[in-house]
Amino acid sequence: MTSAIVILLDGIAYGMVLFIISVGLTVTMGLMRVVNLAHGGFAMAGGYLAAVMVVAGVPFIVAVIAATAAAGLLGALCELTIFRPLYRKGELAQVLMTFGLTFVMIAALTAMFGTDIKRLPVPDWLGGLVDLGIRPYPTYRLFLIAVGLILALALWLIIDRSLYGAKLRAAVDNPRIARAVGIDVNKLFTITFVGGCALAGFGGIVGAEMLPLEPFYALRYLVLFLVVVAVGGHGSFKGSFFAALTLGIIDTAGKYIWPEISAFIMFTLVFVLLLWRPYGLIPPKAAA
Amino acid sequence: MTDIPDKPQAAALARSSRFNVLWHAVPWIVAIAFYYTAGGFLSLGTSILVMILLTLSLDLALGYAGIITLGHAAFFGFGAYGAALFSLHVNTDPVLGLLVATAATAVFAALTGMLILHTQGITLLMLTLAISVLLYEAANRAYKITGGDDGLQFEMGPVLGLFRFDLWGKTAYLYALAVLLVWFIVAWRMVQSPFGRSLDGIRQSPPRMKAIGTPVWWRLVAIYSISAAMAGTAGALSAQTTRFVGLNTLGILISGIAVVMLVLGGTRRLYGAFLGAAIYVVVQDYAAKVNPFYWMFVIGALLMATVLFLENGLMGIMDKVGTLARDQLRRVFGQPSQP
Amino acid sequence: MRIWSTGLCAGAALLALNGMAAADIVKVGVIGVFSGGFARWGEQFKQAIEVYQKHNGDSVNGHKIEILYRDAGGPDPAKARQLAEELILREKVQFLAGFAFTPNALSVAQLITEAKVPTVIFNAATASVTRRSPYFVRVSFTLPQDTAPVAEWAPKNGIKKVVTLVSDYAPGHDAEIQFLKTFKEGGGEIAESIRVPLSTTDFAPFFERVLNQKPDAMFMFGPGGPASVSMINTWASRLKPAGIQLLTTNETQEIDLPRIGKAAIDAIGSSHYTETLDNPLNKKLRSDLVAMFGNDRIPDTATVSAYDGMHLIYQVIAKLGPKFNPDDAMKVMSEMKFDSPRGPIMIDPKTRDIVQNVYLRRVKEQGGRLVNENFHTVPMVKDPWKEANP
Repeated sequence: MTSAIVILLDGIAYGMVLFIISVGLTVTMGLMRVVNLAHGGFAMAGGYLAAVMVVAGVPFIVAVIAATAAAGLLGALCELTIFRPLYRKGELAQVLMTFGLTFVMIAALTAMFGTDIKRLPVPDWLGGLVDLGIRPYPTYRLFLIAVGLILALALWLIIDRSLYGAKLRAAVDNPRIARAVGIDVNKLFTITFVGGCALAGFGGIVGAEMLPLEPFYALRYLVLFLVVVAVGGHGSFKGSFFAALTLGIIDTAGKYIWPEISAFIMFTLVFVLLLWRPYGLIPPKAAA
Repeated sequence: MTDIPDKPQAAALARSSRFNVLWHAVPWIVAIAFYYTAGGFLSLGTSILVMILLTLSLDLALGYAGIITLGHAAFFGFGAYGAALFSLHVNTDPVLGLLVATAATAVFAALTGMLILHTQGITLLMLTLAISVLLYEAANRAYKITGGDDGLQFEMGPVLGLFRFDLWGKTAYLYALAVLLVWFIVAWRMVQSPFGRSLDGIRQSPPRMKAIGTPVWWRLVAIYSISAAMAGTAGALSAQTTRFVGLNTLGILISGIAVVMLVLGGTRRLYGAFLGAAIYVVVQDYAAKVNPFYWMFVIGALLMATVLFLENGLMGIMDKVGTLARDQLRRVFGQPSQP
Repeated sequence: MRIWSTGLCAGAALLALNGMAAADIVKVGVIGVFSGGFARWGEQFKQAIEVYQKHNGDSVNGHKIEILYRDAGGPDPAKARQLAEELILREKVQFLAGFAFTPNALSVAQLITEAKVPTVIFNAATASVTRRSPYFVRVSFTLPQDTAPVAEWAPKNGIKKVVTLVSDYAPGHDAEIQFLKTFKEGGGEIAESIRVPLSTTDFAPFFERVLNQKPDAMFMFGPGGPASVSMINTWASRLKPAGIQLLTTNETQEIDLPRIGKAAIDAIGSSHYTETLDNPLNKKLRSDLVAMFGNDRIPDTATVSAYDGMHLIYQVIAKLGPKFNPDDAMKVMSEMKFDSPRGPIMIDPKTRDIVQNVYLRRVKEQGGRLVNENFHTVPMVKDPWKEANP
């Protein structure tokens, strides 16, 4: 019984990391209809930057905020230079371009940092164990769960309750009509893209324990992020939350119950889910 | 660009077809010349031929039919392991093994294709990825059969009972070249046929094709299976010529590389596969010796540049060069240039 | 006439002597990994070779030893084979060396047998490799060789119940099988054997299973790189507090400890090389590595293997000259016995595999740094798998 609770907490923590990184991708794909295979690269960049700063003595919280902002800035830069021309070129061009971008990011990071893992030391108040009454449990994982929930709540408030959120939802559902009623969809794109990259960077930083930072990060975990988006449904923030949680819990539980074939379990699940619901758990309204 | 040829234009067209035949022969002449001049580079050449076949297969599925897939490694690896296991347990004849591996891959692709080809876009992409990952994991787990991480080593009999696979790789090269030629002709004829033309339409607009009564789903399954069979042959060749097969033949990296080669060379040009594969393999081979990190950077940058600036890949550039050259020649020899 | 022929003979003899005295270049092809996630395995080889050549010069008796490096990119048997072919056919190398991964080594077995090229293995550690070709000689280690000593030590030192947790691929299986065998022979109890998929990033759930068994220790084998680091960190946060010890083979090399951090403290490793060994060769190796390549360049198993591998090659040229018969070369290498930075080593002539000390060591913090401290040495261990499977 104790184990079941621990596994559940582990699964939720893992799911939160996946959610934080993938939510940006989901919204971008739903809104801009741009397939961004380089999304993992922004997560990676954020993580690396934070690691460099923390090791150099910058206080943890400052480093996290700065690196998250930097990831967003990187996103802005890429959007202006690389992504703008892609909007009209269709899915395949976007897949290829961002795939190439991923390669470039990996090469750049390898040149700068070498191929070994970059450690992101967490401050003492986040390390260590907390006594949950039934068992000591790593503090950091509880931190992850808390951060994930707060972020999810904040995003939900923004998307569901704010003007920006309303405009965003309108633009996702039907960009043409949104433009027709005067919503500056292009500006919305850019802001959202930057936000998504910043979130990815944040996810890369806080998730560094579960998804270790090394140059191949961008390719290695890309499949995971894409799975969350595909299973959750493009553009659906709620969908990505539930997809990330489900995948996180099932993957973790699978590893506990049946270690040898846990990788099998997750992908078979994904396969079945996608066949059953090709547009994701919560399909976009504009789906044909 | 459809002209109704009248007499002088017909003559010009006839001349240009002669030009086309020459154009067609160039890659094959290069391939044969390579055989005689390569020396120790022959195994590199064989690996280029195998990659060309893989890229060609992807051109059919992705370039012509528009099936966005990152899972073609599944077929490459399936063919590779098929050939290896056939040689180990049944018969070491290469051609027989090749045929069996190809057929098996086609059946596998048909079955999985029927399951997933009603989806599109990123869902389809994810499903192809899922199949690829699942196959990889299955092969890894079944290490008693597949050798797992260590791979499988096996012997090959002589090709057609006559040509032994020699240390220098001569037999391997010519064998691969012959197989490539056969598949190329098949692909060429198919692409020009009504079936091939319908794929063009399907890629551009499935609903429209459905509206005119084309059995879209069946066509997609068909091309997917044929493309997979081709990829399976490439995998079988790769295994047979090296007498070795490993798990990396099923890895996502091979799928990604195939896409890169295709785009570099140019989609829907068939010969684009030749260019793209040759360039990629050579760059990788060379750059890896100079500085191993460079090749990722170079390939990534090349890919981005191709998407941004070279819509039709390198074949697009060659086309432009070719047309320019042809016009210049005509001017020199006093013929009217094509309108 | 006789003067003519004598003159001709004398001239020919002079020419021949000149030819013999002229310096020949001996080419050695090193197939390592220089890019991607495992790039360390090529860098270590290269740096070790450079240090060896600094200590011993880059020629033997006037014959230059030229090293050609090729990148296999990772565990890629097809590529390794292609590179080997090129090196043998194009560059006409007389030795092959390197091979971080067993599949890569296995893929060239047929080739080197056909072409008769002596091949020195700098890493690939699956026990059966040297049997695949009579031209393989290994200077690194075998997994059973590093695993058996800790499996033997444990039951005699209070560790009666163990859970094994290995990565689900061939080397993991090798380590697991050897550990199970030796540990049970010593009277220990294996509570469970878990095999973890290679692609795993989060190990917490697997470790939860281990915790439930309440063993005295966990024997772990990881694939190196991010996964191993993650595994040790998870052990430290979940199992160490419950008093479960960590037994590993080469996961706690000094060069990796800064990456793992304090989580590694008290982990027990069983390895054929300890970085803090006190002999003159090791000290010189350490100081030269730092001088040539920077402060965090600590020698590891790859380094010493490449270093010793070069010694084998140099000895062949010293004893047989540059135009040697490959079978004679194999004989020379199989009979070698010498001091290495890791202690005394020898090659077993029957198996062409390495025989060496194995050190049990614990990770400790010393002067602000994390190092391995030896507490038990098992001398001259032969590969147990080959002993058990003749």
